[in-house]
Amino acid sequence: MASRLRAWTVRAIAAAALLMLAVAPHGARAEPVKLTWFMWSGSEPEVTAWKHVAALVTEKYPDITVEFQTTSFPDYWTKLPALAAAGKLPDIVSLQSLRTAGFSGLMEPLDSRIKADNFDIGAFEPSIVKGLSREGKIYALPYDFGPLVIFYNVDAFQKAGLTPPHPGWTEAEFMQDAKALTKDGSFGFAVWQPDAFIAFARSKGAQYLTAKGELDLTNPGLEKAFTAYAALVGTDKVAPLLPASGTQSSQLAAARFTAGNVAMIVNGPWQLINIKKQASFHVGLAPVPVREAGSISISAGSGFGIATTSKNKEAAWKAIQVMTGPDAEQYLAEQGRAFAARSADQKFWYDSAAQGVEGARDAIAAALKTAEPYVTTPNWSTVASGFEQYAPLAYAGSESPSKVLATIQDLATQ
Amino acid sequence: MRSVSRDLSPGLAAGAAGGRSAAAPRTVRRRRSRDLGTAALFLLPSLLGLLAFLVLPLFASFVLSFTNWQVMGTTRFVGVANYVRLATVDPVFWHVLGVTLMFTAEYLALNIVVSLTMAVWITSLSWGQRLFRLVFFLPTFTPLVGIALVWLLMLTPGGVVDWGMHALGIPLPNLITQPGLALQVVVIVSLWSHFGYNMLLFGAALEAIPSTYLDAASIDGADTWRRFWRIKLPLISPALFFGTVLTAITSLQTFDQVYALTRGGPGSATTTLGYAIYAQGFVSYKLGYASSIAWVLFAIIMALTLFQLRLQRQWVNYDA
Repeated sequence: MASRLRAWTVRAIAAAALLMLAVAPHGARAEPVKLTWFMWSGSEPEVTAWKHVAALVTEKYPDITVEFQTTSFPDYWTKLPALAAAGKLPDIVSLQSLRTAGFSGLMEPLDSRIKADNFDIGAFEPSIVKGLSREGKIYALPYDFGPLVIFYNVDAFQKAGLTPPHPGWTEAEFMQDAKALTKDGSFGFAVWQPDAFIAFARSKGAQYLTAKGELDLTNPGLEKAFTAYAALVGTDKVAPLLPASGTQSSQLAAARFTAGNVAMIVNGPWQLINIKKQASFHVGLAPVPVREAGSISISAGSGFGIATTSKNKEAAWKAIQVMTGPDAEQYLAEQGRAFAARSADQKFWYDSAAQGVEGARDAIAAALKTAEPYVTTPNWSTVASGFEQYAPLAYAGSESPSKVLATIQDLATQ
Repeated sequence: MRSVSRDLSPGLAAGAAGGRSAAAPRTVRRRRSRDLGTAALFLLPSLLGLLAFLVLPLFASFVLSFTNWQVMGTTRFVGVANYVRLATVDPVFWHVLGVTLMFTAEYLALNIVVSLTMAVWITSLSWGQRLFRLVFFLPTFTPLVGIALVWLLMLTPGGVVDWGMHALGIPLPNLITQPGLALQVVVIVSLWSHFGYNMLLFGAALEAIPSTYLDAASIDGADTWRRFWRIKLPLISPALFFGTVLTAITSLQTFDQVYALTRGGPGSATTTLGYAIYAQGFVSYKLGYASSIAWVLFAIIMALTLFQLRLQRQWVNYDA
């Protein structure tokens, strides 16, 4: 009996040793994987932030390196399909919720991986998870989201002796402030399109999509809203006429704001990293003014997914978990690059990035209460480009706002 | 036997002679085929480049123009539907075509007149010819996108141009936001950045005119104006023709200055066919449709170039 026990023990030890031999070299010498990641960026601080996020992946998985490739936001959406057409998609694709309908075809649904790894998708804000999903499938893990809010120049308001914008401020107050701040070549506000206009229109109760989700730019409600929006430039003259140009109207507006030439603009919390670095004045945040339907903003966000063509999908899945993980979220929130998509990490944005930014916490909290997810159509890039190209005609009074909307509708639905 | 050999001998002789006479062409043929091989080897890199970067993409875009390729989703053959849509459904195609032709006509005429005038003026200078040539040629090799951005800063509402006009008391509206004037901005920027090339070309042709012709004409009493019209212009007509054809082609293809300056706006006031191809292909991702516009543009360029080649018999003089 004792000898049989000894023999069994020897066999068990030998088997364990063999198993260890089989496993140990594999674990110690995992093949290094180099992943490519394509992401948009608008400034040097942003590039630094993203490179840091890429390095976090290698920190956690030393055998995985993430090569960061970047371009400007508008160019990103030109290059991505070109890369897809050439069969050269990166392993990790960045996706903005507005483009989910148009680009999810290039990306792998993540649902089976989420289920297999018991990944806690519930840690993210449900609205942005929905924004990055299509037909019930999740295509990217979100890193940020946020509602459009008003960024204002605190110093300009103080100098003019005006009460700064605050949650619950009305359109009448907004107009009064904008008029008071428009003097000596400076303007109270800057218009841009389509996102800032959509937030304006929704607050006025206008719809831009039909109940079925199809583009509907020619309904009387939206025409009325666009007429009022164009009047801010043409009739009220509280906003400068920004030309259709190679630079997006949102960037032109942000540049005028940081230069101190415009006192208020609409933008998202993700822009705080750039605006804080470039502005030489104190920045404040407030929700969009209360109009006929209330203070309704639109919220959008972005995330990272895996290209269908990737040869390293397993490594890419590991990487995007780190890139949207608590450490990355904390870092991005502190840098002001992202209002974290993970609800638990939003405090870092408030505590660090929004430090010294007047009214930030109240503005975002108030905006989130009434914000709607920014729903778009699959051809939204045509709609957005149509707005960029044609809206200045309405601002300059060269064409009626309703005709401009009809043209954009025609171009997008032809 | 002898008779046989006798009968055979002429044949043999002929055969021998034939062998000698056949050897020479064979050698020539061998040498020719060896030369051909060497030539093919030298030509191969450019031929491969031509095939890979010109013939193949041309063929591919032609095939694509009959499909509904949108990068994502299924692609299917749609026949001539893209071309039919261009002509009948597209709300801006005819306007875009009009803008392109208007830009080409205006820019081509101004480019030739300005560059020729500058070339004649610089050639007439007794000093500083090289300096002026360099100065005016500088914008040609400066990236147009960079140039366009600087122009955009100057032309933006409330920018230095508006300020200058206001200071001079000229009641001109902002150029870049007015649909009727925005194309003039594209013409001005294109002209400023590109006339240097033709100026150099015409300048070189003017320099090459033998002074004896001009001296003889002067002795015969021809004044400066007459010498220009009767001697200089006919003698530089080959260079003028080359410059005109090339400028017409590049102006029909105009894209980069529109992309950087106006993105085709305001509205479609500055949308050229080149920009429309980009917008349809890379903003709306309708690459099949964009290819059909590209082929319309190709057809227009071909037709115009053939017309110019035909017309050259009337005015281009190669006798010098």
